[in-house]
Formats: sequence, structure tokens, C-alpha cells
Amino acid sequence: MELQWPLILFTTLLAWSCGLFGAQAAAALKGEAEKAQVPALACSVILLAASGIAVFFHLQHWERIFNGFGHITSGITQELIFIVALVVVMVVYFADLRRNGAPGKAVAWCAVVFSAVLVLVAGHSYMMPSRPAWDTFLGPLSLLGAALGAGPATFELIASLKGGTADPDGAGDRLVLWGSVANAALVAVYVAAMAAAGSAFTSVGYSFDPTHPTEALASAAAYGPFASGTAPFSVGAIVCAVAALAVAAAFRKKPRAAVFAVVAALAVASALLLRVAFYLCGGDVFMLY
Amino acid sequence: MTQYAIVTDLNKCVGCLACSVACKAMNGVPIGNFWNKTLRIGPNPKYEGAQFPDVEMYFLTVQCQHCEDPECVKVCPTQASHKLDDGTVQIDKSKCIGCQFCVMSCPYGVRYLNEDERVVEKCTLCEQRVAQDELPACVAQCGGFARWFGDLDEGIETFRGPYGKQLGELVGDGCDYPVKPFSDSDVHTLPNVGNNPSFRYILRDRTWQGEE
Repeated sequence: MELQWPLILFTTLLAWSCGLFGAQAAAALKGEAEKAQVPALACSVILLAASGIAVFFHLQHWERIFNGFGHITSGITQELIFIVALVVVMVVYFADLRRNGAPGKAVAWCAVVFSAVLVLVAGHSYMMPSRPAWDTFLGPLSLLGAALGAGPATFELIASLKGGTADPDGAGDRLVLWGSVANAALVAVYVAAMAAAGSAFTSVGYSFDPTHPTEALASAAAYGPFASGTAPFSVGAIVCAVAALAVAAAFRKKPRAAVFAVVAALAVASALLLRVAFYLCGGDVFMLY
Repeated sequence: MTQYAIVTDLNKCVGCLACSVACKAMNGVPIGNFWNKTLRIGPNPKYEGAQFPDVEMYFLTVQCQHCEDPECVKVCPTQASHKLDDGTVQIDKSKCIGCQFCVMSCPYGVRYLNEDERVVEKCTLCEQRVAQDELPACVAQCGGFARWFGDLDEGIETFRGPYGKQLGELVGDGCDYPVKPFSDSDVHTLPNVGNNPSFRYILRDRTWQGEE
């Protein structure tokens, strides 16, 4: 199907925001990088707001958005509910930071859990039996991978800039490495899953649409992640995720702002490319119409 | 319960596109969009390795299947897409936010965004005509007398077509019977991915292409 850029940006920025918020909460639980807490929270709020602005460009009648809470089986309704819940957690987190200089343990755990759940809920919205390449839980997990790849690296970047931890054995640095491992693995596995989904498309042999007489025959192969138009994005997503992992691993003993910036940028690029491939692979099961 | 649907006898469909044209004229469907489209399936070999003239084909009319468990209704955040008591799936345009998740969730690609109204549209099964005990335009105008409309829960033998009679009354051998006998194995649906499409297609003596 055609690319839905507002949704591509929405999901990527949402995952980034949640990854950053979850990483800063994890750091708070370990008592690390206290100076970075407020700027990191500001960044995650900005990213969340940017994702919200992006998604408004997708809606044709955004003025009716509050109807969006109306139907609980809808992924959009579920996303809205969890976004509101996450914003509430962010407000409480901020209040704790202002009052005590650090969030309470329960609030920090809520930040980690709600961040992860929101990413999974946002990814789950796209799980539809009508689109074989999308109908796997590896889709939401790949979004969680993006959060794990970009979020901790962004937090460590902010911490480095604020003169925080540069300890290669610190929990934050380990999270950057293992987050990159998870992201690279989930990107690769999801691309493989999209390739395997090709057999689920309906095949009717030859067909012809009199209203589009010059259109080529529908082909399941065209919806594969390694089809000619899609391969640059699928392969690019894997390459960026693996490159982020390589940088995180190679400079593990010399963590500094530039390294974290590169890791975060590569993880975000990987997420964007994977989302593009996701739409290009998203043919419906009855692909003739 | 009621589940309105259309049965199409594909052995009778001649691919005249009258249903597609009638639908556009009746419902003001924008240029380039269709609520009801006629596809040609084939020619495909009758058996593996067969060459012309051992090939077969049929025409397939595709529109909203007014599914029993419609995914489009499940994913709609505003309940703009909803199922009526008569089993049809309708869109309340005043509630639609144009998120197009229903378009994505439809296995048959029969929904589209109306660029002027910025809301999603699709076949309504001529709700306005059915309410007046008339047939949907695509059934009433069927050039091959291939389409029948009725309540699936009552059985497809009770479906009515442009003859003004029920399908069951017209099934038989010989030239007095416009509809030839068919068995349950001749009745097909479009691919079902859990949405349980309501529309039925009768195809005899030919291979139904694609999954059900």
C-alpha cells in the first residue's frame, strides 16, 4: 500500500519518546545520571508531542478526534488511552523530580512499564488479518526494538552532554548495548517474517480489471521485503540497526556523546526505513482490488 | 437475526459491467472509485499444464462483502463503521475522522477515502433502495440475471432477483429454468481471514480460484 508518512513518523517518534522515557526511568532506578533527568523528560515530551502533531496530518477530520475514545476494540482508541496514561505518568514523574530531585520507585517502574506497553499497543494497532505482512506480533516487537535502540542511546547522549556518567560499566551504557542488540535482532526477524508472509496472499492465476486495462498482474512477490522497490528500505533498516549495534559495541569502553549520537541516529534511521518497508509490504490478502 | 447479502451466479455473469455502472449512477461514486467492480479471473488452465483451448475463466464482482464479523467495524475508533440489525455494514460519515484504518483492515480493498468529503466510503448495499423494498441497483440492473439479493439466514434459495421471483423457484434443468442446479460445493466466498464474508458466489464446473 502507499506510504502513510504521518503514521510512519508517528510510530517512530512515539517509540523514540517511549524509549527515552523508559531509559531515563531505568537510570533513575539505578540512581544514575540525575542531572540528565529533567532535560531527558523534556526531550521525551517534545518527541511525544511531535508524534502527536505528525498523526494529526493523517487524520482527515481531526476536529472529531475526541470521538476516538468511543470504541475500545479499535487500536486508535487503545493508543489514545495509553498516551493519556503515559502523559499522566510523565506529569507525576516531573512533579517527583521537582519535589525530590528523583522520581519515586513506583513512579519510575510505572514509566518503564507504561512506555513499553504504549509502544506495543501502538504496534498492535496494525496487526490485521487482512494484511499478511502485518499480522504478526513481531511488528509491535520491532517497534519496541526501535524504542530500545534509540531511547537508551539518546538518554546517554543527554547524560554525557550534562556531564553525567561516562562509566562503561554503568547500567545505562549496558542498556545502550543490549538495546541495540535487541533492535538489530527484532528488525532482522521482522523482515524475515514479512518475507515469509508472501504465501498468505490469494492467488487467482491470470486476472484482468477492465477499469485498469494496462495494470500489471497482481503478484505476491511485489509485496515482499526484498522486492525491487522495497529491498533498499528493508536492507537499509537491517544495515542501520546492525551498524548501531557495531558502533555501540566497538566504542563500549570509550563512551562519549558522539558515539551515543551516532547510535541513536542509526536506530531512528533503521526504524524509519523499517516502517517504509512495512507499508510497501502491506498488501491486502485479496490483492486484486 | 438478519444478514442481507448478494449471491452471484458466476456461470451466468457475462461481465457486462452493468452492475458497476448502475452502482456508480445510483450512488454518485466519484470518478476513479468503485463500490462494485467486475474482474475477469482467468483464462487459467483447466488442469495442470493445459494449453488453449483447455482454459476457463469467469467474471467476479467484488464489493463490500457485509461481513458477519467485519474487521473494519472492530478497528473504527469512532464507531462510524457499524453493523446494522439487517446485517449490513454502514458508515456514519458525520462520525468518520478519516483515519483509514478500516481501509487497511478490509481484506478486499473495497473501501477508499472520498477526497472531497474526506471520509471513507464503500457499498451500502443500496440501503436507501432496500428500505423501500427495492433491490440494490447492482442486482436490479444485472444484465445476465446473475445476481440475487436476500437474507442469508433464510437461505440463498429465498434470494430475489430481477425476475421478481425467488432463486429457489428458478433452479432446475431445461430451458424453463434460468438457474441451473448447484450443490453446496459450488457455493464459494472470497478469502475469509476471520471476517466471515456474507456474499456468496455460485460457480459450477469450473475451478474457484484463490482461497476461501
